[in-house]
Formats: sequence, C-alpha cells, structure tokens
Amino acid sequence: MSTVANTPTRSWPPRGAALLGWAVLAAVGVVLLLAPLIFDLFWLSQILTQALWLGIAAVSLTFLYRYGGMTSLAQVAIYGIAGFAMGNVVHTINSEGGLNLGWTPWLGVVFGIVVAVLLGLLFGAIASRSYGIYFLMITLALSLFVFYFFGQVTQLSGFGGIRSVSRPGYLGDPITHPSPLYYTCLGCSVAVYLLLRYMVRTPFGIALQGIRDDPGRMSSLGYHVALHRALAFALGAFVASIAGVLSVWFNTQISPGSINIQQTIAVLIIAVIGGLSRLEGAWIGALAYALIDYYARQHTPTLGLWLNPGRFATIIGVVFLLIVLLSPDGLIGIGTRVWALVTRRGREAEPGTAAAAPTAEATLEKAGTMATGGPPSSGRQEA
Amino acid sequence: MSVAVGRTSPRAQLGTQAPRIILGILGLVVVVWLAIKASQGGTTFIQVTLNGITTAALYFVVAAGFTLIFGLMRVVNMAHGSLYLFGGYVAYIAQTHWFGGGGSQFSLGGASTTSIAGFFVPLAFATLVIGLVGLGIQQLLLRWNQGQDLRQALITIAVSVIFADQMVAHYGGIVQSIQQPTSWPNSITIGALRYGFFRITVVLGSAIVIGVLLYLLFKHTRFGMTIRAGVDDRAMLSALGVNVQLVFAGAFFLGAMLAGFGGVLGGTMISVGPGLDTQFLLDALIVVIIGGMGSLVGAAIGALLLGLVQSYSAIYLHFGSLDLSNYGVMTSFILVIAVLAVRPLGLFGRAA
Amino acid sequence: MERLRRLPRGRLAVIPAVALCALWIAACGSSSSSTTKSAAASGTTTSSSGSKSAPANALKIGILSDCQGDFGAWYNSDIGGAQAYFIAHNGAKAKGPVPSDGITGGTIAGHPIDIVGYGCANDTAASALSEVRRLTEQDGAQVVIGPLSGDEGIAVANYSKTQPGKTFINGTSGAQDTTLKVRSPNFFRYNGDGAQWSAGVGDYAYKKLGWRNAVVVMDDYAFGWTSAAGFIADFCADGGTVTRVYPPLGTTDYSSYISQIPQKYDGLFSAVGGAGLLDFLKQYVQARGNFKKNTLAGNIFLGDPATIAAVHASDAGAVEGTSTNEDTTSPNASAYIAALKKAYPAKTNSLPAPGTLAGLASSVFTVNYYVAAWALDKALTAVHGDLSNGQAALHAALAKTALPDAPYGPVTLDENRQAIITNYIAQVSGTGVRTIYKVPGVTQTFGGTFSPTTPSPGRGQPVCQKRSLPWQGKEQAVSFH
Repeated sequence: MSTVANTPTRSWPPRGAALLGWAVLAAVGVVLLLAPLIFDLFWLSQILTQALWLGIAAVSLTFLYRYGGMTSLAQVAIYGIAGFAMGNVVHTINSEGGLNLGWTPWLGVVFGIVVAVLLGLLFGAIASRSYGIYFLMITLALSLFVFYFFGQVTQLSGFGGIRSVSRPGYLGDPITHPSPLYYTCLGCSVAVYLLLRYMVRTPFGIALQGIRDDPGRMSSLGYHVALHRALAFALGAFVASIAGVLSVWFNTQISPGSINIQQTIAVLIIAVIGGLSRLEGAWIGALAYALIDYYARQHTPTLGLWLNPGRFATIIGVVFLLIVLLSPDGLIGIGTRVWALVTRRGREAEPGTAAAAPTAEATLEKAGTMATGGPPSSGRQEA
Repeated sequence: MSVAVGRTSPRAQLGTQAPRIILGILGLVVVVWLAIKASQGGTTFIQVTLNGITTAALYFVVAAGFTLIFGLMRVVNMAHGSLYLFGGYVAYIAQTHWFGGGGSQFSLGGASTTSIAGFFVPLAFATLVIGLVGLGIQQLLLRWNQGQDLRQALITIAVSVIFADQMVAHYGGIVQSIQQPTSWPNSITIGALRYGFFRITVVLGSAIVIGVLLYLLFKHTRFGMTIRAGVDDRAMLSALGVNVQLVFAGAFFLGAMLAGFGGVLGGTMISVGPGLDTQFLLDALIVVIIGGMGSLVGAAIGALLLGLVQSYSAIYLHFGSLDLSNYGVMTSFILVIAVLAVRPLGLFGRAA
Repeated sequence: MERLRRLPRGRLAVIPAVALCALWIAACGSSSSSTTKSAAASGTTTSSSGSKSAPANALKIGILSDCQGDFGAWYNSDIGGAQAYFIAHNGAKAKGPVPSDGITGGTIAGHPIDIVGYGCANDTAASALSEVRRLTEQDGAQVVIGPLSGDEGIAVANYSKTQPGKTFINGTSGAQDTTLKVRSPNFFRYNGDGAQWSAGVGDYAYKKLGWRNAVVVMDDYAFGWTSAAGFIADFCADGGTVTRVYPPLGTTDYSSYISQIPQKYDGLFSAVGGAGLLDFLKQYVQARGNFKKNTLAGNIFLGDPATIAAVHASDAGAVEGTSTNEDTTSPNASAYIAALKKAYPAKTNSLPAPGTLAGLASSVFTVNYYVAAWALDKALTAVHGDLSNGQAALHAALAKTALPDAPYGPVTLDENRQAIITNYIAQVSGTGVRTIYKVPGVTQTFGGTFSPTTPSPGRGQPVCQKRSLPWQGKEQAVSFH
C-alpha cells in the first residue's frame, strides 16, 4: 500500500455523489454550530459534548493506529495524567483533594499538557521498539500502571478524586450553561483534526507511514525508526492530553475511577466502532458510544440476569464484537459500503470512496502480518 | 522534521551499554538493601520471600497457558483473565451446589466441613469446563481469523468485556471463596516459621508439577514436538501432513484449562470476585512481557521476578521514617521498563 | 488475496442488521428528543420511561442507584427499599415481583407519585453525575433519592447546588465530606457516614474487652479511612494506642501486609472493605492461626447479611459496628420488615442472596432508601404538599424532620442536614449477628473531632489522642433474645 493512497482524490467542481457528500458535510457542520439552539441542555452536554471530548481521546488512538501502525491502549492513561497534573496544581474549591497549589486554570492546562506529553515521550520510548500485538500489550500494561499509581498514591489523586477543579472563567458552570464548554470541545476537535491531517502530510508523517508499512526498509534508508515512533506517540499524547483537560472540565472532577480499565477499553471500542481507517471515525464512534450508553440504561428489555438496563457493558461488548467480526473498519466502513451501494452508478467517477474499504482492510491485515512476522531486524539492531 | 541518524555509531554502542550498567548498579542496590533487611528480621524475610514465591507460582500457572497459546498461534488471548475468573466461579458454584451445606463458606472457627472430593471434584470440573469454553472461543471466533493477530486480540477483548459484565450480573459484587478440604491444616509450622498450608503445598506444588509436565510434553511427546514445529514454521508443518487445526485446538484447550485451573487455585488461596480478571490478565501480561512471549522458561522466571518484587515492595519500602509503600506499584513498572530497556522482546523472547 | 476477495460478500449481509440498529437508535432518539424538547418548552417534562399520562400535579421522583460495578447487585435492593415505603404507606402498588418493574398509584400529600426513572450508575462519580442529570434534566425529577456509594454522594451533593429548586435525599452513600464539607442546602442525609457506623466500637473494645493497643487494618482509600477513623477516635479518646496498616485498595494477596502486623497486640480492628475482607481474614488465619477470643472487631462489612453468607467469624467473639440489627425484634423494625414482605414477597434472582427484600432488611442498601422515602413523605405531608417557590417549604421541613420510629432507632438531622443516628455493637458468629450494645445520639462530628475545617480522615488522620466524646461509657446493653 503506497502512502499516496492516503491522500483523497478530489475533483473540482464536485459532481453527483460528491456534491451530495458536500451537502451532508455542510448540514452536519450547521447542526454542530447551532447545536445549543437545537438540543436541550442534557443532550448538548451529556451526549454531544461528551462525544466530542471522547472523540478527541479516541482520535489519538486512531491516528497512532492508522498512520503509525501502533494500537495504543495507553491513551486513557495519558489523558488521566494530564487531568491529574492539572487538577493538582490549580485551585480546588474546599481544597477537595490533590495538592491544590492554586495556580490559574490556564497555567494548569499548560502544565497538564506538558507533563502528559513528556510522560508520553517516555512511554513512547519504552514501547516504540515493540510492534503490533507486543505494542498493544505493553501499552495496556502502562495504562494499568498509571491507574494503579493514581489509585494508590492518594497524595496525588486526592480523597476520592480531585473535585471542584477550577476552570477558566469564560466556561462558567458547565452544568447550567453548557454552551461554552460545548464550543470549546467543538473547536478543539476541529483543531485536532486539522492538526493531524496536516501532520500526516509533513515529511515526518510520510516517514511515519513508511515505518508503519516497512520499518526494516525505512531503517536501511537511514531513518531512526524508534525515534519516529516515539515522537508520533508523543503527538498522540498531546492530543490525548487535550481530551484529558476537557474531561476534567466536563466532569468537574477526576478520580482514579475515571481512568480505569473499563475506560481504557471504552476508548478502544470507540475508535474501533467508528472505524480505524479514517480520523473522523473517532467522533462517529464516540457519538455512537454515548447514544448506546444513554439508551441502553433505559430501553434495554429484561431477560433475566442476562440482559437488563444494567447490562450496558454486555451490549457494548456485543456491538464491539460484531463490528470486529463483520466490519473491521467500523461504522465508517459500513457507511462507505452503503454509500457505494447508493451511488453505484457513479462509482467510476468516485475512485476515492470505492478504494477506501479495501484500503482499510489492508491496513488492518498489514498490522496483523507485521506482528506475525515479528519485529523486523531493525528493531534488534537498535537494542 | 525528518530524523535520520547513522545506524551503528560508536555512540550508539555506548548507548546500548549504558542501560545495562545502570541496571546492574540498580540491581546491586536492591540486593544489598534486601540483604540488610534479611539480616534484621530473618523470620519476616523468609515469610515475605515465601509469599513472593507462592504468588509467583500462581502467576506461572496462569501465564503458562497464556504464553502457550501465544507461542503456537500468535493469539494474544485478552480473555485469559476472564477464563481465570470464570474458572473460579465454576468451581465455587459446583462446590456450593454439589457439596453444599455451608461447606463452601469460609469459617474462622472451622465449624463447616469440606471433604477431599468436595475440593477436587469442583477443581477438575472447572478446569475441564474452562478448557471447553476456551475451545469454543477458539473454534467459533478465532479460527477463521488466523494470522490477523490484532483482530484476534480485539475479539478476545470484546469477549472479556462481555464475560466480565455477565459474571457481575450472575455472581454479584460480593467476593466469594472456594473452600479447601477441612481435613487440611490452615497453616504449617517449620521451626519458628508459620506458613499457609495451601499456598506452600498445593499452589507451589501444582506450579512445579505443571511446569515439569509442560516441559516433558514439549520435549518428549509427539504432540509437543508438533507444537514446537508449529511455532517455528506453520506452513511447513501443514505441508508435512499434520492437521494443524487439531494441534491449535488442542493447544488452546490446554491453555484455557491452565487458566481455569489457576482460577480455582487462586479462588482457594485468595478469592473469587469482580476485577480479578483484569488483575490476573495484567499479571500474566507482565510475566510474559518480562519473560518473553511464548517461552515457558521465560514465564517461570518472569513470574518469580514479579512475585518477589511485589512481595518485597509491599513491606520493604520503608526508609527510616519515609514510607514509600504505597508507591509499591511503581516497582513492577520499573521492573518492566528495566527488562524492556535491555531486551525489547523479554528475557527469553526471540523474534519468530 | 483470497480472503480479500471473499470478505465483502459476507460483509454486505451485515448492512441490513446495522440498518436495523440504526433505525432503532433513530427511533428512540427522535421520540425522546422530541418529547424533551416540547417538554422543555411547555415546562411539564414527561418521562420517556415513566408513566405516560401522569397528572399535572404529580410528584416526580427519580431513584438513583448502581446497576453496574461492584455494587450493581444491590440495584433492586435500593429501589425496593424506597418503593416498599410508598407501597406500604402511600397506597402505591408494585407493577411486578422485581422492584425495577416500577410502581403505580400512590399519593403523597395530594401529589400522585410518579417514579420517572431509575438511575443506573457504576460506582464512579462521573456516572452518578451523568445519571442524576438524566433523572433531573431529562426525566424532570423534582426529588432524587440516592445515590449509593461515597464518591457518588459527593458528586451528587455538589451537583445539587446547581439545582436549588430540587430536592436530593441521600440513598446509602457514606462519605464524610458529602455533608460535612460540601454542605449543600438541598441535599439531606438520613443515614450515618462511615465513621458514625463505627462509633462505640473503640470505647467498647477499650472498656469491655480491655484492649490497650490495637492494630487497625484499613483499605487505603476514603471509605477505609473514614470507617477506621470512627474506631480510632473512640479508642484513642479513652487512651488507647493504635498501629495503622493500610493495604492499597484492590489488594487481593494480603500476605505481605499481614507480615507487617506486630506479633503482640490486644485487638485488631478491620476496616477492610467488602471485596478484600474475605481475602484478608483468610490469609490472616493462614499466616497467624485463628483469632483468639475477643481480639477481632470490624466495621459494617463484618456483618452485612449478604457478606455474612461468605464470611463467618464464629467462636472468635468478633464484634462489629453497625447501624442496623439483623436480629431485631423491636416493633419499629418488625413493621418495616412486614412492609418489605408485603410489597415484594417473591424471591427473585434480581436480588443478592437470600433473594428476598425482607431477607435484606438489615442491609443498609435497603433500609436507607426506605428511610429516605419516609423522610420525604413526612416532610411533604407536614407542608401540605407545598412545592412552590423552588420547594423552599419542603427543604425547610426536611431539615427539621425527625424520624423517631425509624426501623433501627431514631434519626434526627444536624445543622449540615446530616443524620444523628443510633449505632450498634453486634457480635458476629457463625450463626449470625447478635446485637449487644446500642450507642445513642452518634453525631458526625464525634464531639468536635471532625469539622468542616479539620483534615479529612486519612492514613494518619485523625491523630490518636485522648479527648471526650458524647457517648463515652454511655453504650446501653440491648438484647433481642
């Protein structure tokens, strides 16, 4: 698979199906911009805002997977580090947990992100010489370490979490006035999306994709494979840390329970449900996750102990299983195929979309074979 | 911001030596510190060491199944922890229903009774059931995805999510315990040392027996030779006319059985309850990351290292008035980093 | 290559299935969001899950519990506790044998009862916040009964400050900060906190069992510290000394922590939570042999009826601090148990062992929700159903509401709207729990040991020092046998 295939082919002016595509995109954009007028407080906050920040967390994973071939399960740990770092240094009302150093909120944001990126670099350095399934295992172990660390080092995680973390003034109270936080999350999502799209086209991004496809050859060409992967991991950590900051503002608190194994798996599920083949998939997956979460608690029929409103995890697990078994490129892939069916007539005019599905498929198998073959020789040379 | 450097410069040579030197010093400091502690309180030190070794024995039983499945099939079975916990629950339910009458309940006064059969029948039953459950997972979900190891890992993650939720639904949040036979003593005394009987005989004994049996199986039976051949070259094995699918099924069955067996031992030595699936998955992961995926010896060494480090760090992180014992979790972390820094594939790992 | 060619055919078959799922989501989404939009517009929110045609003056109640996580098993115990009160005293009827099936009918001070929904959290603050918001903002609950666990309670109490026109009555959550530090004007707690549930045990151990130095083993997190704090405050007030051991939360292998316990001590107080208690006791016995008589005491977990099924402490004369009595024969408790039996007579696997609500009567998960519903009924009746002016009259009445006939002893509220309770000391044995002493008038502050400005309980808090407590030496012997 060549790196050129990642650049969508577009013709301008748009015709037929492409025009429809742009119309849908514009409609989504308008709905997102006007969401506070369309949805009530609860939907705006608990569904949309939550989906946006969860999407940012998930897109850091999608990015690492899609362009770096790294399935990282450490993203939740990293956003937890950012959240806890910020929570400890800023002012908390009633001094409820954490160090409560009383810094201003913005300084706290910077500190949280810097700490998370630095630790992300460290984690990246540890994990970057491992590939495929090894990488997944090592990052899972790192994630659980972070969880247990905050669970046990209560000086830093507070008395049952750090609560009432102060926010920048313009956000107000996100419970009674969710719009500012919503727009913040929306803005961050767009910025993160554009940043990642930009990064994958820089020489660094191209090299990263080359490393994903064939680390051995890239190493022979003189690229420092492990360093590239570690830097990509740090970029992913930067994105995840933004999600961490937003999650603390959203929940007004952070506790070890916010970054437990369930949350780690949840972010993986979100990225996979949405589709690992495109960055947008992360937000689509997050929205689906938030909706399933919301409806499962109320509308699940009761079948004894097997299925009832408490069995959200079973439902999401089954959805996840079905997606992985039947449509490895997630909802995006399903959408692509539906789209291809709808616009079958104009398929020749649409090389980009028609190629997307097999591309995603190839990526997933690529990562698979890569690990099966074991780390290439370059991995050993640097050891 | 492309980064390119030369492949093997003298500085890189030095760079690879530096971690070893640092780690050597670190290891020395730890050993000296432990020696000081050992000289200060002999009995406690022996007790804590035994704690580490018996915990390691349990880790080994669980991790051996995990590494066996990986070694042959390249499947990282993320549901291994779920199989472990489910094994514990199956044995608990079997013990309660078939040998009930309070026999399954732990009693400080020892008023209730459990016969020898009341322990071993549930043990055998649970081991078998979990083997079959594992076989079912492999046949239904994994078999037709062979070679796509990331997808297989995701599938087993999904299975573990569903299993964890269903176990909470059916068995609740209360911690349960499998009862050892009442005729066995709680603890045995050797000189001034008093130690848990079950831990030191059954758990440690089982681990040693399992380790030896697996070793013999691999080295001296046709099945084992087939497995080893499969690890090295699956295509060739298949071309030689061996039914690879049958070998895979057998190995997965065996690996899952070990998880279930470990679950019963753990449920008796410790307990059965929600969250243990994750904990033992993590422990198995760390063991094989340290020891090297697919290596039986690696699993044994990794389990021993992890068990001892956890055990020592629980009580020897007091430095004068400075109490760092709640940073104990960091020691396992440092152990993993230390091993990976020197050997990215683990102590006994090798590139396939 | 072959796989690549074969796959799409199989995957096409999925599309109808996914389309069905999408339709399901879309259908639910449009119905719910349209109701809420129109409801928000008209100001009379109707619930998506509750009764469809509730009268205009209905009292909308949400019940917040956990259906996931470690406490998920007690979901129906909580809901059943609250609803059993409405069924017994307000004329409501159960819709089915499982409490979460709902209730119909019933009025409180002229307001028809409308249970708008059940909150289904998972033992984390974030999930409790999300669920309480759904109940109040989506389903329009005017009164929320809940939540279940400590961190959730703090989150909900903080949230209640943003909803001054609504009423929040705690379920079972027992964190000290919830009322002592957060002090929300419309959050009321008619049950004790973790420290109150241990009150009297330390005094009893010092005076009656003759302990002078005790080992306190506590989970290294909020509830463990709080619950140990109640014992330490009492025991040190009399002049005892303590050695504290705090295994990290989530420990299953306690063997190394047991090695830390000194060989010589008079007694051991366990503030190890439900999950670790069994592990701890079992491994203690393996390492040190059986407990000697009268050397073991513990917090509420040592004798919870559901936990007692798994942990027996026979013959050792173990004592626990508890706010309920399993063996009670008092008329108040009998009336309460009869109400549970009448409301939910059937055995169901939706409840933890023994499977009936009455069998779980002395579980805090059942009784505290029952008492919360009782307080709501009593206060609203006292103000003749006045919900005007942001429920101001109801809030004032709740703050003054005393329940002298509560199942397990009288309850009144202090100035932080926190219960002053009666606590009990009970002997735990293989055959059950036998109440031996009662400790009346247990306040949250422990005679000034805890206040809004003192440090929260922790590894070293409270410090061990002699002081005077209101109930020192005032325990009254009780016997229900």
